[in-house]
Amino acid sequence: MSALTFTLKTSPAQRVDCSPLTADKLADKTAADIAAITLVVGNQKVRTDEIFDIQGDDVANIHFVKATDKLDHIGHAMTTGKITVDGDAGAYLGQFMAAGDIVVNGNTAIYTACEMKGGTIKINGNAGDFLGGARIGYKNGMTGGTVIVTGNTGARTGDHMRRGYIFIEGNAGDYCGSRMVSGTIAVLGSVGKHFGYAMKRGTLLLTSAPEQGISANFNDCGSHTLAFLPLMFASFKKFDTKFAEIEPFSRVQRYAGDISGIGMGEILIKI
Amino acid sequence: MIINGVTIDETFAEAFPMKGTRLIITALNAKWAMISAQAFTGFATSVIACGCEAGIERELDPSETPDGRPGVSVLIFAMGGKGLAKQVETRAGQCILTSPTSALFSGLDNSEKEIALGQNLRYFGDGFQISKMIDGKRYWRIPVMDGEFLTQEKTGVHDSVGGGNFLVLAESQAQALAACEAAIEEMRKIPNVIMPFPGGVVRSGSKVGSKFKALNASTNDAFCPTLKGQTKSDLSPEVESVMEIVIDGLTKEDIDKAMRVGIQAICDLGAENGIRRISAGNYGGKLGPYHFHLQEIMA
Repeated sequence: MSALTFTLKTSPAQRVDCSPLTADKLADKTAADIAAITLVVGNQKVRTDEIFDIQGDDVANIHFVKATDKLDHIGHAMTTGKITVDGDAGAYLGQFMAAGDIVVNGNTAIYTACEMKGGTIKINGNAGDFLGGARIGYKNGMTGGTVIVTGNTGARTGDHMRRGYIFIEGNAGDYCGSRMVSGTIAVLGSVGKHFGYAMKRGTLLLTSAPEQGISANFNDCGSHTLAFLPLMFASFKKFDTKFAEIEPFSRVQRYAGDISGIGMGEILIKI
Repeated sequence: MIINGVTIDETFAEAFPMKGTRLIITALNAKWAMISAQAFTGFATSVIACGCEAGIERELDPSETPDGRPGVSVLIFAMGGKGLAKQVETRAGQCILTSPTSALFSGLDNSEKEIALGQNLRYFGDGFQISKMIDGKRYWRIPVMDGEFLTQEKTGVHDSVGGGNFLVLAESQAQALAACEAAIEEMRKIPNVIMPFPGGVVRSGSKVGSKFKALNASTNDAFCPTLKGQTKSDLSPEVESVMEIVIDGLTKEDIDKAMRVGIQAICDLGAENGIRRISAGNYGGKLGPYHFHLQEIMA
């Protein structure tokens, strides 16, 4: 069996809802069935084979080739299989995803891993705003799984995040960890303004002190050796990320906040 | 059966089902890991009055522990899951949470049945406790005066076997003790078992029942050397001291192995060191469904 490959014929003028193209939804479908699936494109419904050249038959291993940021909802609610995106991906990549793997060899747009429940997403590029966040009006962002971004992230990374891990190998945008309920965001590069804004619980793990300092809404709890950090670093080893390669550390400066709220979140900075 | 002049009785030890778990205690150094483990496994020789049986399984190298610090693995057994959960929680709360630099982890992950480990201890944090999911397991970080107490939320429960045993019959107290010490040294190399009594050896083996209604166990008079002329004794005139080694294990096979190496170590000392017989606590099937036939084990 070869990977089921969707090669974009031309760059679409309107956004394409790719949510029907997951291993769960394509299981037991023939090539003809898959070609006949209608996708919502703008305000139209269009057959899949009008948008993509389709090759291969392994629904557990789906490739999007020549992808653009118009392809939304890739890996929507998937519970199994692997999706590889060669090119950029649109909004809501991996939304509601419960298990499986997504690899994007390009950038992703807003709401990547929105309300993700499990599985792993690796973005070999940059991610847009609200990575791992919640939809507007919803209270829980990511509730599980792991997101690895080799580049930078936009604003509001981990907004309302409740559980899981976000690894940012580059820089995080403004308001990183805003309204975070729990979970862990780790950043190798710099963080933007107002990181940890309205954070309730959870951990922002930084490998270097932010140039702009720490918000007045976070109180310095001193320097500490925390026993859980080596355990956590050991768990990173199974991921394909620079966080698996860095020297584990347990010595950190701890800041607690956002004290304008319940103040149970923490920013840990390597010392 | 006679091995090196030591008679192996044609009898069997009776053991009973228990629920058990393994815990891993770590600390800043091996000394404090051991202190914590010793506190946790204290007063845990027999379910008759301790509520559980617990012991140190072995010391762990930093490479073998979840947090990369020196550690000790302990096994704890109780007659049921609820009793085990209660014992684990109270002992962990009073003996490990309190012990400087300690951390506590499950040594039996991926079990079908689980009991609370740090799940309720977290409330000691008075709202400042922090949960962390790492590799699919929940941990609790509880702020304490020396830093943070890290504990796994749950530990697995294993259907286990308690009360495996054998008796060492010797010509003197000193010879019985020396033989038992030799046996314990070898038995401690076997994984998944503990010998819960002091130093692994019990000098007051019991029989089921008593002439006093309030007691459900009493001295094993048939093996008490000072009662040779007063009761239906199982001892020959040369035997002046009897000691027992009790073994609890995660499986019957583990106890089999421990008994084999223990009895072999005693037989290696042989009759020339005053060892006369190896027997076992056989209570006519009243005690439990697991039977450890000495001669089969040593065959």
